[in-house]
Amino acid sequence: MSQIALFGLIASRMINVNSVPNYFRYYVAGLSVMTLYSAAIFIGFDIYEEAEHGVFEYLLSLPVSRRQLVLGRSIGGGLRSFIYVGPLIGVSLYVIGSLNPIAFLISLFALFLFAFGVSGMSITIAVMIKSSDRFDILMGVLDALIVRLSTAMYPLAIVQASSPIYGGIASFNPVTFAADLFRWGTDVTPLQNPLLPLLGIIAFFAFFTFVGVVIYDRRIEGGGWQ
Amino acid sequence: MIKNVVHILEHDFRNFLRYKWWLVGLISMNLADLFIMAVVYNVMVSSAVTQSYRSYFDFFAPGLAVTGLFASAFMIGREINMERRREVHHYMLSLPMTRMELAIGRVLSGGLRGMVYMSPLLLTCFIFLGFPTIPQLFLILGVLLLLAFGISGLSIAIAVSTSSLEKFITARGLVYYTLFFCSSVFYPLSLIQQLGQDGKFPAVLVTLAEINPLSSASDMIRSFLLGYPAFSYTSILNVLAFSAVFTLGAAFAYIKLIERK
Repeated sequence: MSQIALFGLIASRMINVNSVPNYFRYYVAGLSVMTLYSAAIFIGFDIYEEAEHGVFEYLLSLPVSRRQLVLGRSIGGGLRSFIYVGPLIGVSLYVIGSLNPIAFLISLFALFLFAFGVSGMSITIAVMIKSSDRFDILMGVLDALIVRLSTAMYPLAIVQASSPIYGGIASFNPVTFAADLFRWGTDVTPLQNPLLPLLGIIAFFAFFTFVGVVIYDRRIEGGGWQ
Repeated sequence: MIKNVVHILEHDFRNFLRYKWWLVGLISMNLADLFIMAVVYNVMVSSAVTQSYRSYFDFFAPGLAVTGLFASAFMIGREINMERRREVHHYMLSLPMTRMELAIGRVLSGGLRGMVYMSPLLLTCFIFLGFPTIPQLFLILGVLLLLAFGISGLSIAIAVSTSSLEKFITARGLVYYTLFFCSSVFYPLSLIQQLGQDGKFPAVLVTLAEINPLSSASDMIRSFLLGYPAFSYTSILNVLAFSAVFTLGAAFAYIKLIERK
């Protein structure tokens, strides 16, 4: 909230209106996606806490398959991050003050898939690394790179103008897809073809959910948690 | 007294260096802010900002060093809060030294750790913006050291006043966001003042931004390296007052509150 009230408001004053006509609305929409990403990542930290407290063994003993377990964790992580970010999304909608109902519903669906995908990614990395310290570092670095190399804070044309390499990475970044769809749903910026970012998010969700299941299945047993 | 304080410094530095990879990760995150975010902002920031400060990258580099200093000097609070929750503070209180030596040692170590963490960021800033003269360098280091002690004191005061990690993290978040965003770290102070004059920003927050030690330290480095804004002795006084209040306040809070059950 303070980022909207303070950073969003003041930073919008220093942005050239020819580059971004209304940076405040642009930033507020992007902030919701950035926060959703950070909240969904948290499920990985829970896995370490469960391993540390021996809850992991209990979960493994439940009469559910490994596949159901990881799928449930991904969806649970995504849902709770949505609940966490819900008030912020509400405030964002109020501040932005516009809505395209059908586009917004599609973007909301995409944000759900995005949150599940990020949770799946977090779980996959957590069970691959099995070290809370390394996970903490890697997630911090990933967060810094994924969020900054996306359109969450600035339009793609600006990123490309600053560096073609940054622009190339931002074009295929799931945070870019989610932010662009949310802005399209809230009428902040138009989107020529919403199908492309939507397909990008579905691919991201599918990859980390189903690859996550395989990796989880292989790495979950045998201890080695640090 | 000095010997006991040095023991505390050694203890806290050993803890600090135990997380060296974590620190490398944090520094890389800070550098990502500079080499990605600031580089992209360069393209879209209005000419009013770039005329005075050459580019947003040049404007932001000193601010980044100050935010790095703030984040790392604040880390001592988390450790002290953890010690309190895990009751390690009983061991600390049983050490053969006075409460004052212990408290001063903790505040100093928090500040010095902040300086160590911040140094690669400050060096990066000098490499890209140019090096200051020797007297300016000493003044920058002196002001940043005072700021680091003040931040360390602030974090210790919060750590001993909060009973759980959640409360500490919430208080830390409030302090972080208020001090970071109500300062000239990310944007020129003149923008905040302009918003205040237009009636779009509360006067109390404008005043906070003006006396904020993070604004004072960032603008002092900018005045030496970029020539703008003009150097003002008030900025040194701001940092000095902040440091004096929180260093002494934290030392007394640590002594009083750490013994509470």
